[in-house]
Amino acid sequence: MLQLHFLDDLRRMNIRQLFYQVLNFAMIVSSALMIWKGLMVVTGSESPIVVVLSGSMEPAFHRGDLLFLTNYDHEPIRAGEIVVFKVEGRDIPIVHRVLKVHEKEDGTVKFLTKGDNNNVDDRGLYANGQAWLSRKDVVGRARGFVPYIGIVTIIMNDYPKFKYAVLAGLGVFVLIHRE
Amino acid sequence: MAEKVIATMEENPPKVNKWDGNALKNALDDAVKDVLLSRFSYVESHRLLDGRLLISSIAVGFSLFALLWDWLYPFPQSRMVMCVCVVAYFIMMGVLTWYTTYLERGIFCTALNKDVAGIDPDDVWNASSSLKRFDNKYHLCLSQKTGKTGKAKEARTVLTVENFFDETGRLLYGSVVKEVLRLHSDVEHKKN
Repeated sequence: MLQLHFLDDLRRMNIRQLFYQVLNFAMIVSSALMIWKGLMVVTGSESPIVVVLSGSMEPAFHRGDLLFLTNYDHEPIRAGEIVVFKVEGRDIPIVHRVLKVHEKEDGTVKFLTKGDNNNVDDRGLYANGQAWLSRKDVVGRARGFVPYIGIVTIIMNDYPKFKYAVLAGLGVFVLIHRE
Repeated sequence: MAEKVIATMEENPPKVNKWDGNALKNALDDAVKDVLLSRFSYVESHRLLDGRLLISSIAVGFSLFALLWDWLYPFPQSRMVMCVCVVAYFIMMGVLTWYTTYLERGIFCTALNKDVAGIDPDDVWNASSSLKRFDNKYHLCLSQKTGKTGKAKEARTVLTVENFFDETGRLLYGSVVKEVLRLHSDVEHKKN
């Protein structure tokens, strides 16, 4: 018979201890979530940390670089800045440089972007009929970066089964491991 | 009649991985608790653990609420609520740390010696323990607070863990019983 001694610890626990075991797991997940939400509040960006997925911004950013973003309303968008923006119909935000900006007296802006490593501007990437981006499309502006770290995220996304296996493994470990 | 399936700890002592300090401590804690509750007519009180459960539940509640709210009202709108939830969550984490460090202090079992007449407050027995990482010294402390006078007394002992497990890692329940009974009478006979 299979001897599952590592489960003995669990078997000896009463209902309160088992409940705490689940809560403990929930708190680990919650801490990560709340740090993320806290960063959102502080930076004003809905996604304060992004991973560069393509080589379109080389040599500034490479695939797998981690970018730290801020998105403060009082900071105007200027040509030359690197922005992360969303396009309707695309799930993944894009990191590119601002090429042209048109700003009105009342502060509304429309701007055009281009990847440093691309030959053409981004009009082809925008939604059908969209010629300019506006303030609401911006997720944030690149403020800092850490090279290569994000490659882990890329691997996880390229091999979803591997990702779920790792997550499930960690989850089970926390649940059955008595503190 | 159905056969009794659940064996008591005495009949079936737990078997643990001898090199896992955490497992050793848990097994010893469970055995000490089992002795206290089976050899004496004490009733277990869950108040300490319940307090910890409440604090953790509130903390997780804040994070679940933040998750739900952010989903209903996407980010820039939900900013204020996020701010409150994040701050509240980390305050609760601080409270939890304070609770485990200053109130629980390693207490894994609280047993009440009910007053027979039901007039005086119960005597409270607390068992706490600690086992440092990579160490083989299990520190056990048994304390009693008399309900009537409110006076507290305690006795401590340091046990070497290898004396309480056989070579296969099975807990030697009898040895634990001996130690706990000795410690218990030490406390009882201590003068205040």
